[in-house]
Amino acid sequence: MRWAVPEAEFVDPGTLGCQGCGGALSMRLVLKEVGDDAIAVLPACCWSIIDGPWPTHALRIPVFHTAFETAAVVAAGIKAAKRRQGRDTTVIAWAGDGGTFDIGLQALSGAAERNEDILYVCYDNEAYMNTGIQRSSATPRGTWTTTTPDENPEPRIKKDIMGIIAAHRIPYAATATAAYPEDLARKVRTAMEARGGMRFLHILAACPPGWKVAADQAIEVMRRAVRSRVFPLYEVRDGRHYTITYRPEPVLPIEEYLGLQGRFAPFGADPALVAAARREVDDRWAWLEEQHERSLQPATT
Amino acid sequence: MTPLDHVDDYPEIPVSLGSTRAAIKTGDWRSVRPVEVDRTAPCAFACPAGVDVPRYLDLIRLGRLDEALAVFAERNPFPRITGRVCPHSCEDGCNLAAATGDDPVAIRSIERWLGDATAQIPLPQPFEATRRRVAVVGSGPAGLAAAYYLRRSGHRVTVYERRPIAGGMLRHAIPEYRLPSAVVDAEIARLVDMGIEFVTGVELGRDFHLDELAPEHSAVFLATGACRARPVGITGEHLLDSGLEFLETAGLDLSIGRGMRCAVIGGGNTALDVARVVRRLGGEVTVLYRRTAEEMPAIREEYHHAVADGVVFEWLTLPRSVEKGEAGLVVTVEEMRLGKPDGSGRRRPEPTGRVRQLIFDRVFSAVGETADSTPFPANLKNAEGWLEVGPGGATADEMVHAGGDLVTGPATVVAAIAAGREAARLIDRRLGFSDRWASMPHQPVVGPDEVNPSYRSSARRTSDPKARTVDPLGEETLTVAAEAVLVELERCLSCGHCNACGTCFVLCPDGAIRWEEDGPVIDLEFCKGCGICVVECPGRALVLVNEREGPSFDGTSGASSDGRTSGRHGNGEAVLSKGGQVNA
Repeated sequence: MRWAVPEAEFVDPGTLGCQGCGGALSMRLVLKEVGDDAIAVLPACCWSIIDGPWPTHALRIPVFHTAFETAAVVAAGIKAAKRRQGRDTTVIAWAGDGGTFDIGLQALSGAAERNEDILYVCYDNEAYMNTGIQRSSATPRGTWTTTTPDENPEPRIKKDIMGIIAAHRIPYAATATAAYPEDLARKVRTAMEARGGMRFLHILAACPPGWKVAADQAIEVMRRAVRSRVFPLYEVRDGRHYTITYRPEPVLPIEEYLGLQGRFAPFGADPALVAAARREVDDRWAWLEEQHERSLQPATT
Repeated sequence: MTPLDHVDDYPEIPVSLGSTRAAIKTGDWRSVRPVEVDRTAPCAFACPAGVDVPRYLDLIRLGRLDEALAVFAERNPFPRITGRVCPHSCEDGCNLAAATGDDPVAIRSIERWLGDATAQIPLPQPFEATRRRVAVVGSGPAGLAAAYYLRRSGHRVTVYERRPIAGGMLRHAIPEYRLPSAVVDAEIARLVDMGIEFVTGVELGRDFHLDELAPEHSAVFLATGACRARPVGITGEHLLDSGLEFLETAGLDLSIGRGMRCAVIGGGNTALDVARVVRRLGGEVTVLYRRTAEEMPAIREEYHHAVADGVVFEWLTLPRSVEKGEAGLVVTVEEMRLGKPDGSGRRRPEPTGRVRQLIFDRVFSAVGETADSTPFPANLKNAEGWLEVGPGGATADEMVHAGGDLVTGPATVVAAIAAGREAARLIDRRLGFSDRWASMPHQPVVGPDEVNPSYRSSARRTSDPKARTVDPLGEETLTVAAEAVLVELERCLSCGHCNACGTCFVLCPDGAIRWEEDGPVIDLEFCKGCGICVVECPGRALVLVNEREGPSFDGTSGASSDGRTSGRHGNGEAVLSKGGQVNA
């Protein structure tokens, strides 16, 4: 094996993820670095199902299913109990974009503000996929979902969750995707080393049924998200210090990301949407480069 | 953990104690199945000898050099030789270049390194002795290759060579700076070590005749090459020097002084070799060729080297006569223009009537070589007096085969090696042995639209470093360093051959690919058939098979119309490579 990714597995096969599930793959890759001294807290999300029906489950670590809005705070509570037991078990709050951007945001903000010693992972498939593809505040502008149909696609830009998290000044936050497994693995390692405070990973996870792509294109579509700069890969330390961890060269035209997915059909009908998306991507990248550049400067007091 | 027997045994808070591994066999969901197959790589297909490049590159990476040499020697026993002089059509076929625009993998440099690194290892040894004897006439690349494969088949082999020393064109026509004779010596020594007998200084037609070989030998392979220089056919022919003879004695020819004005007539490999040797000896040299660079039959790379050496080219220039003048040899040339394509597919040069005169001190003729068929008996020749040769080199006498330049006219070393091997394969069959040697790799090859270069190395292509030598005819390049080979190996996508890179294992969303010591194993109990492993495999060494149609590998079912696997299977259509063989 020539990948700097551990061989050890902490997810048993027999999971109920759809064919080509980016969320299932993300869990597999994250746990490879976290190891088995860990507990996962799952609010309502695809993974509530993927882990398997009672009385079986797939993760080789304990899983605590909890209410939609509570992933971060339940994880913080379990961590407190573990600390009380004298254990340094890693507690992972593992939530989708609905449980992070929307419904779980207050608990997440509270835990981040208290700098709870948990690893919060948001696997973001950009809509409520588990319940039938309803839009969330992570759904990009112009996207088709069952609640934002083709003739009336998502009107608002995607919420900047990394900006919200950075504003809490937690020790470590990063974006990642399974299409770049070594980058993802390294960020999980860095998050594990930053234990003692709150760590946040924003993982883009393709959803073939919800994104309307062939299952075998799941990795390709995530790769194109990165190569087109739609989903930049970067880290934020202490909420201020930004590092871009991958600069695509050459940059893929955004059309090649959009065109691969049926959910972006409204873009085909409205060139203005494409132009707006390109502008957002370019602005975002320029801003990130500024932050990256600024972070390289010696600290001024 | 095992599931408890009864619901009542579970605590009040529902707890899952069993694993989905035992309870949920997601393999049931699948309509298509990934299958690991060995498919033909474009480099192997482009190689005249069919060397399985991805396989030997993989073995080098694993540090198993003796096995890498063995894989190489299945098709070509002389990586040290072809690693130096081959025009590497393998690299022209490289999918990395076609799919990405990157430079192709430097296969020849790796091959040369492998040859040098394994120079002290004996070549793969013969099968059980057969008590058959086979004669090989000629010890150029075709003869040597045939001798090797016949010997490996267990036969006793005697090679007859008319010159005092074996090696043929390898030794006498290819200049020392491209292929040192020490390398040829060493390769022949390895053949001697295998038990191949060399009889030198005996010439067919002069010292012995074909029918004299019959009583002692079960079969004969004729590989006497194309070593008769074709005349230019102009007035003053006697004033020309033979390029071929010059190459043979180049190391000893002290007549070329600094600044001596030389011309070479021709555009083939001999012409360029002569021109480059003259440059090395300090002379000025102009190549006179009746067509243009485009149509030149010489190896492309050699042309670029010649230009770099300072060889001057006069295109569309046809010599009409040579005569002795006061200032030197006066060559009258006519300017040509290109007309319609001729039988060779190249545009035919046509005279324009415009004539001029050029002056040189020496003029070499190198307009091609032909075979000498005078030593062959009449029953093997056609009406024109040439040896009549069928597929695989068979002649009218079923125990006499022929191959190499003798049959094809001047060609490459690798083509001669391939011909020698093919003849040995057929002779072995004629001697009553079942197919012991694989035939050439077949279509379809893995295409550039099938590979996934996303994970490729960003390293730049390596090349053989220039040698610094005081000897003008000393080898001009060095063998690359082992470190450079290791970097170069990472650039190979390993088309059609699993080299255990681990991409499928890392990216399987369902953990349905196990990693075992020597590579990935697909767990069909759980594989959902998403196809990610197939499209992400850098070299497409996996294909999807439709479950309904079952494992049919004759290529008749499920193959897409172009005979290749297709990257997309969203409609559940089965795809399978023709001639694919199941490995897993």
